[in-house]
Amino acid sequence: MPLHPKNAAQKERLLRAEHWLCMERARFYTEAHRETEGQHPSLCAGRALQRVLENMTIRIEPDELLVGNRASKRIAPPIAPERGDFTFVFEHLFDDLKAFGYRIDPRDERLLFEELIPYWKGKTVRDAKIVALKERGLSSHLDVSPKELRRKLRSFGVRKLLRLVDDGAAEGVGERSVARVRRAVRLASHLPRLARAVRAGAGDNLKGRGRCTDTQAHIVLGHEKVLSLGFSGIREQARARKDRATDDGERAFLDAVEIVCDAMRAFSERFAALARGEAAETSDPARRRELESIAEACGRVPWLPPRSFAEAVQSMWFTQNAAIISYGAGSGITPGRVDQLLHPWFSADVASGALDRAHALRLLEEFVIKLNDNVVIWPNIGGVQLNHLGSDVENITLGGVDAQGDDATSELTSLFIEALGNTNLATTASFRVSKGSPRDYVRQVVAVHRKTNSPAFLNDETAIAALVRDGYSLEDARQYCLVGCVEPSGNGDTYGATGGSKVYFPSALDLVFNRGKTTFFGSQDGVDTGDPAEMRSFDELLAAFYRQLESMVEWVTEATNLRDAIWAERFHNPLISCTIAGCIERAMDMTAGGARYNFGSVGGGGLGTVVDSLAAVRRFVFEEKALTMDELREALATDFRGREGLRRRLASGPRFGNDLQEVDDLARDLVDRFCAMVSARKTFCGGRYKASLISYGLNVYEGALEPATPDGRGAGEPLSNSMSPSNGAERRGPTAVLNSLSRIDQTRIGYGNSLNMRLPLGILRSDKGVESVAHLVRAYFDKGGFHVQFNAADTATLRAAQKDPAAYADLIVRVSGYSAYFTRLGRRIQDDIIGRTELSPCH
Amino acid sequence: MSLNAETACRVFDVQRFSIHDGPGIRTTVFLAGCPLRCAFCQNPESFRPDAADLMTPRAIIAEVLKDRDYYAVSGGGLTVSGGDPLLHVAPVRALLEEARRNDLHTCVQTSGAVPEANLAAVLGLVDLFQLDLKHMDARRHRALTGASNERVLRAAAFLAERGAAVQFRMPLLPGVNDDDENLGALARFLAGLSVHALELVPYHRLYLDKYASLGLEPRLRDLQPPSAADRERVVDRLRRHGVAARIEPL
Repeated sequence: MPLHPKNAAQKERLLRAEHWLCMERARFYTEAHRETEGQHPSLCAGRALQRVLENMTIRIEPDELLVGNRASKRIAPPIAPERGDFTFVFEHLFDDLKAFGYRIDPRDERLLFEELIPYWKGKTVRDAKIVALKERGLSSHLDVSPKELRRKLRSFGVRKLLRLVDDGAAEGVGERSVARVRRAVRLASHLPRLARAVRAGAGDNLKGRGRCTDTQAHIVLGHEKVLSLGFSGIREQARARKDRATDDGERAFLDAVEIVCDAMRAFSERFAALARGEAAETSDPARRRELESIAEACGRVPWLPPRSFAEAVQSMWFTQNAAIISYGAGSGITPGRVDQLLHPWFSADVASGALDRAHALRLLEEFVIKLNDNVVIWPNIGGVQLNHLGSDVENITLGGVDAQGDDATSELTSLFIEALGNTNLATTASFRVSKGSPRDYVRQVVAVHRKTNSPAFLNDETAIAALVRDGYSLEDARQYCLVGCVEPSGNGDTYGATGGSKVYFPSALDLVFNRGKTTFFGSQDGVDTGDPAEMRSFDELLAAFYRQLESMVEWVTEATNLRDAIWAERFHNPLISCTIAGCIERAMDMTAGGARYNFGSVGGGGLGTVVDSLAAVRRFVFEEKALTMDELREALATDFRGREGLRRRLASGPRFGNDLQEVDDLARDLVDRFCAMVSARKTFCGGRYKASLISYGLNVYEGALEPATPDGRGAGEPLSNSMSPSNGAERRGPTAVLNSLSRIDQTRIGYGNSLNMRLPLGILRSDKGVESVAHLVRAYFDKGGFHVQFNAADTATLRAAQKDPAAYADLIVRVSGYSAYFTRLGRRIQDDIIGRTELSPCH
Repeated sequence: MSLNAETACRVFDVQRFSIHDGPGIRTTVFLAGCPLRCAFCQNPESFRPDAADLMTPRAIIAEVLKDRDYYAVSGGGLTVSGGDPLLHVAPVRALLEEARRNDLHTCVQTSGAVPEANLAAVLGLVDLFQLDLKHMDARRHRALTGASNERVLRAAAFLAERGAAVQFRMPLLPGVNDDDENLGALARFLAGLSVHALELVPYHRLYLDKYASLGLEPRLRDLQPPSAADRERVVDRLRRHGVAARIEPL
């Protein structure tokens, strides 16, 4: 069945919608916060959310069956000024947002700059974090002394440094034309602003070039709890728990839960009233009936448990919306196992005859379209651009086993697959596969790639083993959902902050070569592991590398704990907390450790780049003695200028992803040791850290600050993405790639890894091709693989889309665990995706 | 390890994740040397056995076994292609024996233009033969491939009589072998062997670059791949003759 015409119209409106900056969430939250300053953080947050939900603009769009909006405009991210990440971008890179196409009402602009930013100055998570990092000596200082500037210039070259601040300007360097002058002028006009942004942003940089974002989030909401109890039941639970409260803190949290439950009721009833009003006014009898159903549903859910499939979807959508409003955009708030959550109502309605397949599909299509009703706000740094629809990833998990370990795919799973194909948007959808999955299930999902590039495959056996290893009960582990890109997390029982803290493996090598400094920052971050020229064996180099990596993990986890303490002390979230198992029982906000399971995460970036680099050093320096460490260091410090022959030779070495045991073993050991380092660290709430190998598509930006590496990668070029081989490294086809990755014990990578593969050209045209891709997935998972996703678009199509973006506006690609509109990505990310090896036509 | 000159194989390519050379996911090993010189040959590297790598059967099978897990899931295995791997029977026999020892499903792609004794020598070692019927007319076959089709047709009959599993294929060359007369003759020949299925392999032009890089002149420079209409017509025509033809979709 094709996309329902009403949904086609909704999709069209979504794709054509303007991007706006709406200040309603920011304004109401700030107003309430001003009034409650000094009170318990749960109460401040509860009152603030109540103010937003009771006052924000609400509306019902034409053709909608599911209602609930997040802002005064269709595409406008809810802005949470208390975090500090939004205000940082507004203060320093506002012009970039406008240039990208964001619009703002002049009154809102004045409000933002005259009231909101000044009020929050010094109070945000970000501001407090930067102070704490400085106090504890964890931030990296950008050394701009003449000596260090010269070094940066030598290592990166003018072009690559300029590209950091203005993608277009760099292209002008070396050109003899009017355009060059124009670009230079443009760059010069940007420089003061950029310099301010760099200075202000540098406080955020951790020693060893690590990263710790201002937000935590990345949470699977407790939708199951809301569906079964309703917010009325949750309120009752909080009230009952208050009888046993032992201190004011517990009482304050429970009071806040009651406040937000009431606010949720008020919010949905506002929609009920609006729908009744519109029903009375419309002259279209069919639409009147729809609006009356909407009014009835909104009068009931999410306050009470739903009575029908339609009410269940509506309930989920309200909770999802309100949670994102409460946390602000860019928070990775996840609906979870949607086919499992909705199944009881689906099967009951189908059995009673109240629901037919076509209507269920229509609702799911609309739900999927709404999952793309979001954007994050990012400045365009170094050609990285992620402000596209659906980029505030609301990952849905489908298929897999149930709590008892039995396959739980259903008719509803198939309907979701159909809805994803029909809507063809950048929805992030994760398909769990177990040994018990139906034979046809994987094939059906592979076949959907003919229509859209959004699905990913996840292996239940590996994920569940990893979760049990990390302390989940087997039953809870089996219910895991994917958060953000591909991070497995508990189903409404976990506070896991799966994204945001990260280290880059190549930086550890940079620290070795520069004896404790990174080339880009130039300050003495870490220990001096000795003169590389004196290293007599590869093992000596490896030991120094791990010593540096160990420090990096220490720094990033300490920094993350400082940030988490700020959240716990200042900014609670009673709405999300009350849905998460454990918080009401412990009468404690999730940020303070209320959830049943608590974890933190540290991502590792550039695995392929560093493994190829280590393999090249081993072969060319220590085995073949083709060059000395000193020569290598010099070549890296000058970005291989005048040493193109050497660069090519290094690049021709053995590479990860080619089924070469000796290289793959380096990767296996690195992942083992990294995961062990990470899981030895404790979070602020006493949980443990888990490792991930995901790049969020930021590998392009991450590489921009990394000097040349011994694998022949030039300074500033992208790092390898996620756990994938470096671009262009794979030469032996998909099975060799999968074999290489299978040598890594992926159950140790608690927060997951992703493998992005481009499919062989044209393979999906034939049924045999589809079946063969399904077999690849099955075989990889039998071998312990955790995740794989495919891009089916060929190079010619991608190049054509670069030339004529308008004609390819709906072309979707997988970036890194999530999907994106190709033409809305920055040029350099586009090039990186094209550069991912396209497997030649299949034989 | 020293190479036994008798059984060393001249390998010019090993293609992993082959999905159009027999059932499931396969590794295709290309052996140099061919009795034919087809005008549309897609593997001209096979003309020059001296340019191929000499490998022992054991080394080849070690490479093939790397993808054993994918064969297990998909029902795939080893495909030996060429050139014509049955031109030199001792090496291919040793290779297939090594495959047998490792429980690999085996498929052999042959032109059929080889002595019957060569077919007989590998008969028990091959799970599936793929045999190309390029043209039914002896004269035109010679023009197209450099040899008469007499041996090819005998090989087809020989394999069929011995009960070997054979998948018959025809390269679909528009204007060369897709005329009604040839299709009719082909169908009658297959009927004589009680065969009712045929795999059509549509001609493509991607291989032309190989000729340039080898310094060779392709003889069918201007031949175009079959259009959708060509494909439909040929499949339809064969169906009327009682042959179920399969073709990879565009």
